[in-house]
Amino acid sequence: MTNLSSEEYVRYNRQIILPEVGEEGQKKIRNARVFIAGVGGLGSVSAYYMAAAGVGYISIADRDRVNADNLNRQILHHSQDIGKPKTASALEKLRQLNPHCHIRAVQEDMREENIMELVGDSQLILDATDNAETRRLLNRASVSKHIPFVYGGINGLNGMVTTFIPGETACFECLFPHKAVEKTSVAVLGPVAGLTASVQSMEALKLILGMGGLLKNRLLYIQCSDMTFREINIRKNPDCNVCNTERRGMI
Amino acid sequence: MSKYVDVIINGFKEKVPEKASISFLITHFKEGDTDLIVEHNGQFVYPQKYAGAAVSEGDRIEFINPNFGG
Ligand SMILES: [Zn+2]
Repeated sequence: MTNLSSEEYVRYNRQIILPEVGEEGQKKIRNARVFIAGVGGLGSVSAYYMAAAGVGYISIADRDRVNADNLNRQILHHSQDIGKPKTASALEKLRQLNPHCHIRAVQEDMREENIMELVGDSQLILDATDNAETRRLLNRASVSKHIPFVYGGINGLNGMVTTFIPGETACFECLFPHKAVEKTSVAVLGPVAGLTASVQSMEALKLILGMGGLLKNRLLYIQCSDMTFREINIRKNPDCNVCNTERRGMI
Repeated sequence: MSKYVDVIINGFKEKVPEKASISFLITHFKEGDTDLIVEHNGQFVYPQKYAGAAVSEGDRIEFINPNFGG
């Protein structure tokens, strides 16, 4: 791997001086490829942190345009972006933040037909979608490509995060095997999205750096009403239709 | 006559029929979401096991609605 430039030494100094990162870690971050599924409340924050940390290759996808009622939490988008495609607005901000990152922005709905291509050769999936159905697609891509899927979700004053690692931990459908009834417009305060996406971003950087201590089979449940963080122990579901290879073989 | 047992549901003491299943409790306490996180004495219960999981005196059950917003 090419050495870090003097500019990179300066820019990433505060993380390079961390023993867990160092020069080697920064090179790993520079070579990392991350797919961020959605640039709304969660994606705004995780995309900012991935770009700020110097993640070399960031892919983002979203189908929506910026709406005025997004702005209380979707901090990548500003007032003048109302009406713009979210990925265009995101691309502009991320480039301003860190022009060294290669960013691929796709303004498309994530569907069964395009999900594999959208995820491409990314080494991990950062979940920032707003519905369970898209999460099922991301989960299937994660299992079939054998790459980690960092799930994050928010609702009201609560957030949840866990890191699904194919072959090692439970998967999204181990926990949620049913088709979810989608709620329209969930209520949410900005910092709940920020907190949840920050935990996800930390998980992503740890994965890139090859660090331990991940949220494996631990579903972190954040309740901002009384500021409690607790963990729900989860396990692989032997009856899972997605990650149980024997069952998958039968289908 | 059916017997009742005391269990703790989401932190509150409740009287429920002895050997009630998780499925029964979900319907009884109107936890409507199709996707629900259920903890039975600190253990995650797979949705496929709701019908077969029976509660006994003193059990702690948590119903948590998953967060799917973003
Ligand atoms: Zn599974």
